[in-house]
Amino acid sequence: MSKKKKKSKPDPNTDGEGFGLNKPTGQFSDLDIEMKKKLAVEREELASQIYRPTPEDGPDDVTYKNMGWRGIENVEDDFEEPDVAFEKKEIPEDELDMTPMVDVTFLLLIFFMVTASFTLQKSLEQPPAKSDQPSTEVQEDDEVLDDYVQVTIDQTNTYYVTTRDDEEVECPSDSEMRSRVKDAKETSSATRLIILAHVDSTHAKLVTAWDTGVINNMKEIEIQTTDEEF
Amino acid sequence: MSDEANIELPKRKRNPDEGELDVTPMIDVTFLLLAFFVVVSRMDPQAAVALPMASYGDSIQDKEAVTLIVVLDEATGEKVEVYKGRSMADDTKVPPGDEDSQETNIGEYVENQLSSHPTKNAILIKAEGDVKTGMVEMVKRGIAQSELAKTRKIYVGIEAEQ
Repeated sequence: MSKKKKKSKPDPNTDGEGFGLNKPTGQFSDLDIEMKKKLAVEREELASQIYRPTPEDGPDDVTYKNMGWRGIENVEDDFEEPDVAFEKKEIPEDELDMTPMVDVTFLLLIFFMVTASFTLQKSLEQPPAKSDQPSTEVQEDDEVLDDYVQVTIDQTNTYYVTTRDDEEVECPSDSEMRSRVKDAKETSSATRLIILAHVDSTHAKLVTAWDTGVINNMKEIEIQTTDEEF
Repeated sequence: MSDEANIELPKRKRNPDEGELDVTPMIDVTFLLLAFFVVVSRMDPQAAVALPMASYGDSIQDKEAVTLIVVLDEATGEKVEVYKGRSMADDTKVPPGDEDSQETNIGEYVENQLSSHPTKNAILIKAEGDVKTGMVEMVKRGIAQSELAKTRKIYVGIEAEQ
């Protein structure tokens, strides 16, 4: 406050510039009269800008114009929005919002992960079936002089491993059959594996026996089936 | 003053980004995984067959083989059902009956398939592990009835052990 007073002191009676901080004189000053005149002029100017309905507008014209508004079309365009007040981070137009895409992608990913089955299906080549009729291949067996290992699978899915020199050995488990065939292969030079399967043995047992032959590098694997009980 | 303003400017630009992770590599990896699983997964109902396990096997193209599916009848657990083709639909089922009629039916199917699709060079029997050996033999005998099948290799489907 003291600063303002000091400033107004050097020029106390200027016309209306002193923020009314002139020294009180106790009577209306010229300034006051001048101010009133100025205000009157301004009022007239403003009044001239106010829209008054004319007969041309029609009796029903009770639009905003009646209320002294200048109307939107008359608003001057030179008004500039202040830059700071509406400063807002805008997403640049060339950047897509990737969030929904990522959501969908994750859903798909989870779906395919859950449904994916990693069981690799492969296949074994097997000889075609011989005819049901009794074959005349009995002589053929005599002709073959190669060592062989025979795996018999009986109707109760039990393995028996026979080599040409050894007795038939019962193998209650898959792994025992595997090791016995392996031993037989190592001790002899057998290159043939004969699988004699009862028709009531399961397919899985036969495939295991076949696989054992493949593992032990048997050149020839034969399948014989029989319906004779062991 | 103007120098200081120039120095501070990049700092202010970087600040809003510090709180956000860059998700681009994550999306890249996710898409890779997605593509992988899309390629690997099969939408076939054929996985329902519990094939026997084996450690070695050949990979043959499904499309290049005439496929026969042999599964146990769920109701009885004794008899088998043979399906012609890669899907287990009722209309591809071999009509039940005695072995001879089933063999004939299988033989006709294989013959038809091989004559209408000359590119098929194999016959694949997908038999469940619990199916009896005799039943698989029956299917093999059926295949043997087809003349064209004699020049084709016969495969038995297995599941590769890990």
